[in-house]
Amino acid sequence: MEAAGALAHDHDHDDAGHHHGPPPANRSSRVDPQMLGMLLFIISEVMVFGAFFTAYFFIRVVQGAEWPAAGTELPVAIAGVNTAILLSSSLTLHWALVSIKNEDRNGFRAGILLTTLLGATFLFVQINEYVHVGFAPQDHAQGTIFYGLTGLHGAHVAIGLLLLLSVTIRAFRGHYSAKEHAGVEIPGIYWHFVDVMWIVVYATIYIL
Amino acid sequence: MTMKLRAPGWYRAVLYVGLGVLFSLALITVARLGYGLDPVVDGRSWLLVSLLAVPLFFLGGLGAFDTWFHWAAGRPTRPDDHSQHGATSWRSYFAINTDHKVIGIQYVVTSFSFMFIGGAVAMLMRAELAQPGSQLVDGQTFNGLFSVHAALLIFLFIIPVFAGLANYVLPLMIGAPDMAFPRLNALSYWMLPVAGVMMLASFLVGPFASGWTAYAPLSTTQPVGQMFFTIGVQFAGASSIATALNFLVTIITMRAPGMSFFRMPLLVWANFSTSLLVVIATPFIAASQFFVLLDYALGFNFFQAGANGDVLMYQHVFWFYSHPAVYIMMLPGFGIVSEIIAVKSRKPIFGYRMMAFSLLAIVVLGFTVWAHHMFTSGMQDWIRIPMMVTTAIIAVPTGIKIFSWLATLWRGVLHVDTPMLFALGFLTMFTLGGISGVALAMLPFVIHVSDSYFIVAHLHYVLFGGSLFTVYAGVYYWFPKMTGRMYDETLGRLHFWVTFVAFNITFAPMHIVGVQGMPRRVSDYAEQFANWNLIISLASFVLGLSTLVFVYNMVSSWVGGPRAPANPWRALTLEWQVSSPPPIFNFDAVPTVVGGPYEYGVPGAVHGVFKDGGAEVAPPKPTTPSVAQ
Repeated sequence: MEAAGALAHDHDHDDAGHHHGPPPANRSSRVDPQMLGMLLFIISEVMVFGAFFTAYFFIRVVQGAEWPAAGTELPVAIAGVNTAILLSSSLTLHWALVSIKNEDRNGFRAGILLTTLLGATFLFVQINEYVHVGFAPQDHAQGTIFYGLTGLHGAHVAIGLLLLLSVTIRAFRGHYSAKEHAGVEIPGIYWHFVDVMWIVVYATIYIL
Repeated sequence: MTMKLRAPGWYRAVLYVGLGVLFSLALITVARLGYGLDPVVDGRSWLLVSLLAVPLFFLGGLGAFDTWFHWAAGRPTRPDDHSQHGATSWRSYFAINTDHKVIGIQYVVTSFSFMFIGGAVAMLMRAELAQPGSQLVDGQTFNGLFSVHAALLIFLFIIPVFAGLANYVLPLMIGAPDMAFPRLNALSYWMLPVAGVMMLASFLVGPFASGWTAYAPLSTTQPVGQMFFTIGVQFAGASSIATALNFLVTIITMRAPGMSFFRMPLLVWANFSTSLLVVIATPFIAASQFFVLLDYALGFNFFQAGANGDVLMYQHVFWFYSHPAVYIMMLPGFGIVSEIIAVKSRKPIFGYRMMAFSLLAIVVLGFTVWAHHMFTSGMQDWIRIPMMVTTAIIAVPTGIKIFSWLATLWRGVLHVDTPMLFALGFLTMFTLGGISGVALAMLPFVIHVSDSYFIVAHLHYVLFGGSLFTVYAGVYYWFPKMTGRMYDETLGRLHFWVTFVAFNITFAPMHIVGVQGMPRRVSDYAEQFANWNLIISLASFVLGLSTLVFVYNMVSSWVGGPRAPANPWRALTLEWQVSSPPPIFNFDAVPTVVGGPYEYGVPGAVHGVFKDGGAEVAPPKPTTPSVAQ
């Protein structure tokens, strides 16, 4: 990259087939661009959740609808166990990251695989909960909000799982090292965001 | 042939579109079987799933995701050969390209195409409104016309055209070789034609007809054409979020050495502020349209009052995006005008820091005024007064900008050519629109004129007289840089004067008929408004014709205009210090910035220093026109 731009003195950009690369861009910030991009993306994701929480607020607080809807019950305990599963996946992910930073490949692979499995378990329990919860989003606005918020979160878990899956595949193919671990760290930030968001969703939907 | 179908490009895109349609069918069939329903699929749900899935298949076929899939599968990394960077012929503009300059031109040309379609739709509306009664179209079609007009011009023109201009000049201005995420940049562009074609395709099934605001539950009970808007907006929104994120990362991490935040040109500041608004606000419209889609397609109850749903919630969520969106549609224009007014007055911009801070103030205040769109919606009374106050306050930072531009002009040596004419046209027309905006902030008045043509007049003064004039100014100003050719100055002036005069005859009378009570969004009106409406319609046709002058000028100048020098305006900002059009990677070596961007007429002032210079570009000299002092 640095070598490519240095000798470039030919201005004729119509000249096909000459492949000097771009000049190295100046780094005007200590923040890694990929990391900053992920953080900004997470801000916009928080706002998507914010809009769904706005809907929740309007229906539960402004409308004053009964929560949960009359005759329905939310499985607080099972969801609590599920919360623990998801939160522990954040710990295993951190373990994986620390391992690769110390060039401990076995710990890294075990950690990332475990994280993916825990995430998949969470999603499975969530879907199972949908099957047995006893009401549908079509029944009432409370059901709509329940499925809307948990479903939105579930979709994010699914996206996070896809990211983790590709990290896992690459981990078992021998990618990443103590120096090159941005590809673990940045999807990892997203996964932690998904976890933290679940705490908010769990608190507002199930507990409050 | 199989090679063509395997390689990224249009052949594969067409193949993937077919696969996407089949995938949607399979998905629905499987889902119906899973729920124990009759697996025979109805066309409506097939259409809806296709609307969501086919664009992704199309983008995949075109090659927008290839590198990422390659990466995610853990295959050996391929060094980038830059074969997707830069234009080699006109074909490069119809493919995935990672060069911000190519993407910028793709954006500008695409969004102008949608502007001409949206403008033609407006002509049709004005033809219907030329006389009272119903002549050309029925009521529902008329609703469709104004909905498509607004949706196209807002989501497919004003917002992306600014992103396009900034895409071209912003990396050059800050001394970056490209945007931070070039592939994401290409993806954001290609989502735009998808969104636009989808909105236009609604004409095949009957256009969406609940306005660009698509208020629920009107929008959840419309014919299926409404979903072309609901889903199309998702793609336009995703495109603008991705671009905004890209701009922010580029501005924060890729500025040239020495370019501190307070040495950035105001266009960069403007896009920084706009991108903040987009990243924070746009998810709200995405969510609001998801609510509508879920209510419409799956029978959810977000807006079903009978099932504890909340109808007004739609308007709150929608306007929490769409009020900041009016600044998304204006702040980049402020940036463009700041560049042009400083250069063409040969004076430093007045109050540079206040110009930057007022942009940030607008970003913050922009989030506090959304409910002023809902004064007559029946929301809680206590929200009204705070919203009236914040709305009046937001005029203050805007006023600071207006006065700063005026002070920049004051005793300057004005070069009144086409870009400057449009900049001055903006200044006057936007001020008028801003004043009617402050009037509209006042509760007693807005309740009187709500949903009347006064609103139409106000919004066209700020969006046409404001935003579009800055777009024209920017296109003329950077045309030499983007194409390497000069435009025809005489035609440019002709374009300005016809536009300016016809614009005012079209939209000024709308204030009058609005105050007298003519309702907007209705295809018929009372006899007493007939004369004014005839005048408005005739002027609007002239306004439509004026764009032909623009198109002719742009096309003929691009093909055969005189070669443009590197820096025809004697500007200081970095994009003018490289050749026209710029080299494929912008700079051979990133320049060093040693001073502010607007030091016109300041003896010895330098903005950027090029170390070993370009072969054909002299290092920037401080332009010291003696006349300026």
